[in-house]
Amino acid sequence: MQQLLKVEWLKIKHYNAFKILGIFFIVGIFLSNYITLRIVGSVKDTQAGIMVGSYSPYNFDYVWHTTSWVTGCLLILPAMLMIILVTNEFTYKTNRQNIIDGWSRRQFIDVKITLAAVFALVTLLIAVITALIFGFASGSDFSFNKIEFLFYLLLKAFTYNMAAILFSVLIRRTGFAIGVFFIYLGAENLIGQLLDLWSVKLREVDKIDLGSMGSYFPMNAADGLMLFPENPVKSMTSKAFATEYHWLTLALALAYVALFIWWSRRKIIKSDL
Amino acid sequence: MAILSVENLSKNYGHIKALKGISFSVPKGSVFGILGPNGSGKTTMLGIVMSILKPSGGGYKLFDEEPRDEHRKMIGTLLETPNFYHYLSAVQNLKITAAIKGHGEEDIEQVLHTVDLYKRKDSPFSSYSLGMKQRLAIGAALLGGPDVLVFDEPTNGLDPVGIAEIRSLIKQLAQQGKTIIMASHLLDEVEKVCTHVAILKQGDLVASGNVDEIFVNDDMVELGAANSAKLKELINALPGLSRTKEEEGKLILYFPPGTANLESINQHCFNNGVVLNHIQVKRKSLESKFFELTNS
Repeated sequence: MQQLLKVEWLKIKHYNAFKILGIFFIVGIFLSNYITLRIVGSVKDTQAGIMVGSYSPYNFDYVWHTTSWVTGCLLILPAMLMIILVTNEFTYKTNRQNIIDGWSRRQFIDVKITLAAVFALVTLLIAVITALIFGFASGSDFSFNKIEFLFYLLLKAFTYNMAAILFSVLIRRTGFAIGVFFIYLGAENLIGQLLDLWSVKLREVDKIDLGSMGSYFPMNAADGLMLFPENPVKSMTSKAFATEYHWLTLALALAYVALFIWWSRRKIIKSDL
Repeated sequence: MAILSVENLSKNYGHIKALKGISFSVPKGSVFGILGPNGSGKTTMLGIVMSILKPSGGGYKLFDEEPRDEHRKMIGTLLETPNFYHYLSAVQNLKITAAIKGHGEEDIEQVLHTVDLYKRKDSPFSSYSLGMKQRLAIGAALLGGPDVLVFDEPTNGLDPVGIAEIRSLIKQLAQQGKTIIMASHLLDEVEKVCTHVAILKQGDLVASGNVDEIFVNDDMVELGAANSAKLKELINALPGLSRTKEEEGKLILYFPPGTANLESINQHCFNNGVVLNHIQVKRKSLESKFFELTNS
């Protein structure tokens, strides 16, 4: 696998789209966390500041969760890069050439899946560094409180990258695949939100709690694990949120990512290239 | 040893039968031409052998063994189009090829010299002309000095000088004892370079074997008579006869392409007192064989 990854590195290290999206992503994570910090800080200076009290999202009590959540909003960037890298192979017919030159179909798709995992790990690493910087800058005492959200970020990042691979191997054309991916994310989000509203209605009015139904969709499941960070306002409005059945959502998220892997491999291994 | 043997190979695209159960084998050290018009199944056949297409039936062997991924690493292949990363240079692309094949990078420069791309080695592939892309693909096939080369329409997109260069390169490689499998729709390309040939037509194998046997350049006329000794004597007087040969009691006359005239041969023999009991044109000429293929 190391040898296969070395070849993938040769493919991307001189690629401008890789460099540009990579820089956007890293700068974006720092910047959006910084903006979040400044916005919450500026609320404190207003009349609403009384609600916020001493809360700071980047105290070590909250920093792992907040950073993971904010980073999770930018996962579309590595996913787009993943789509470009995979569909490029079809556009240039290098998928054929890689096989002709001696890779097996399994090696071809498995190294892409590994690359998706590597991108997710790099995302995690950047989030950890960001969280440490912001956490220590907040002046609070170091803590591992809510560290599990780093794992959910890793899972969410891998889910996004795997969905990107699946869309790429099924659609094969770069622009079309990116377009469909965006539409799918938007559609799932919209339907998910409506189902969540319905879930709240069922729970409050009909006393049937089906949990957050929106979270039962593939991308929303990974999203749903990444609960909106705790804050004083959220706790006041908890009635407006659907119940999260944590273990169910986690099981679904893992099942969906397994499905994406199985389906992508099957497509490459079984069909003509 | 057979480098490649294809057994009853077929491939369907829906209702279209691209290959209809073809079998042949490529002997070691041969320059094996696969000849046929566009759409005859040449690339489909090579695509299956290179594992990028799944056969609908039949199978094939490489180096007399069940095909493995390692076999393809031992073969240099250019299939259909030059397939490279557009944003990378020639050198960067060849490094990828070398890494996949499991070779070192030491012969990249030498290969770039061979295909005359050294001066442009650091330009991105997207800036290359069609001919340069084709030459890079041939260069990639040469990496690591494989003993077997597969070229699908190798002179596609090349100018006349480039075509001559690639043909002499292929001849050179053949002289080094390498086995070359070459698909082409260009008759004279196959005629000039190949030792063996398989002819495909709409997914069928029309003929395969030694080039000299398949493409007989001269017109061949087979004669037979009760008095064969006298027949042998008198045919020497026939105008335009290039040579004769005796085979299974029959006499074979060779004439320059298109000049054999059965009527005048018959007349000549009859006038000289020999009555023929057999007269037949034995094989079609190169040109007519080609038109038979491409015109239908």
